[in-house]
Amino acid sequence: MYVYLYDNFLKQKKYASILKMIETRLTDFGIAGKIIRLQSLSDAKELVEDEIKKGVSGIVIVGNDKTFGQVLSRAATSETLFGFLPIGSDNRIAEILGIPIGEEACATLSRRRKLRLDLGWFNGRYFVSQLHVIPSEIAVEYDERFKVTAKGKMELVVCNLQPFEWEGNGKKYIVHPQDGKLEAFLRPIVGHSWFKEVYEDPSIFPFQEMTVSAKKPFVVEADGRQSKETKIKIKLSKKRVEMVVGKERRF
Amino acid sequence: MMFQKTPRPAMPQEEYPTPGVSPDEVETVVGPSVRVEGDFASEGNIIVKGIVSGSVKTSKLLTVEKGASIFANVRAGNAAISGSIRGNVKVSDRLDLAETAQVAGDIDCRVLSVAPGALIHGKVVMKGIEIAGDKEEKKIGGFMSKIKSHSEDEMDNTVASGL
Repeated sequence: MYVYLYDNFLKQKKYASILKMIETRLTDFGIAGKIIRLQSLSDAKELVEDEIKKGVSGIVIVGNDKTFGQVLSRAATSETLFGFLPIGSDNRIAEILGIPIGEEACATLSRRRKLRLDLGWFNGRYFVSQLHVIPSEIAVEYDERFKVTAKGKMELVVCNLQPFEWEGNGKKYIVHPQDGKLEAFLRPIVGHSWFKEVYEDPSIFPFQEMTVSAKKPFVVEADGRQSKETKIKIKLSKKRVEMVVGKERRF
Repeated sequence: MMFQKTPRPAMPQEEYPTPGVSPDEVETVVGPSVRVEGDFASEGNIIVKGIVSGSVKTSKLLTVEKGASIFANVRAGNAAISGSIRGNVKVSDRLDLAETAQVAGDIDCRVLSVAPGALIHGKVVMKGIEIAGDKEEKKIGGFMSKIKSHSEDEMDNTVASGL
């Protein structure tokens, strides 16, 4: 039996009809199960571990990218099968996993096409999509071999599943992350225009382990959660979670 | 209508990395205002637009753009240089030096292309030529030494008979 973890935002009236349709489809496929509503203070790891002890065959995350990150950043160490039913906007990870948004995702879930996914790890927690360091005066050391610095502030984005996008020279660029490595994108600030900072085109470094340090604390955002750090170690955790994916996945 | 809204044209999208390079290959890019210190190695193509102080190593293509600098030895599968390198350059296949290229160090490659204006200060070694030259030298050297030793013997004999 599956356990379905519903995000708190799904309480809104506008999602009532789509949830009803999804629940009907899941019953049709014979994979309906227990529903748990996540609260802002819910510890996903504790919830998942409790359900594993009760003998569930899988945990299904229902919501958007933020829900996906919130659950897997804590529960990635749990040995169970994970599924995802994306609902609403802000669903880029689902696209990468090849899972259609809304009711159609039930069919993908029922097919149980399983794959082990790489996750990013930093300072004791996992990240699924992206890690973002807000522009700060940072120094980055890669695989304990070389160090990268810039004159002023730099923005750092580490991509695991979510592609990196930026705009420059009137064009929009997209880089899809590779499998088996993390990709780090460094963009130094090279000037200021009227309302925003001007960034240089990104420097790109694929890596397995990286240390980011600074004299002053810098803001780190991973899967929608923010924290302030002075030093972080980022690693790749290969094939960390087993996940149901779609045929149209990007990797 | 003075302040009529005009629809903004959609921004064209482009898949990175640079044209000519397969998007499947892992690409490393060192931006213009970024400084790299230490032993810099990559499994894929490397594009250097900034400064690298330390050795650079890749089995694939190394591109050093105009204005970029590398202060150490370089090893690559192929290389296209438009910037400056202060160190030895060892390329297993083809090395292209553009007109703005500057290399202060020894070059070792299989195929070399030098554009007019490129500056080299160092020894250029190309393996194919080196082997042919060596063989010829050895052959000539061996023949000359035989003649030399023969004539030296003759000289010794005449000197001995004279005495």
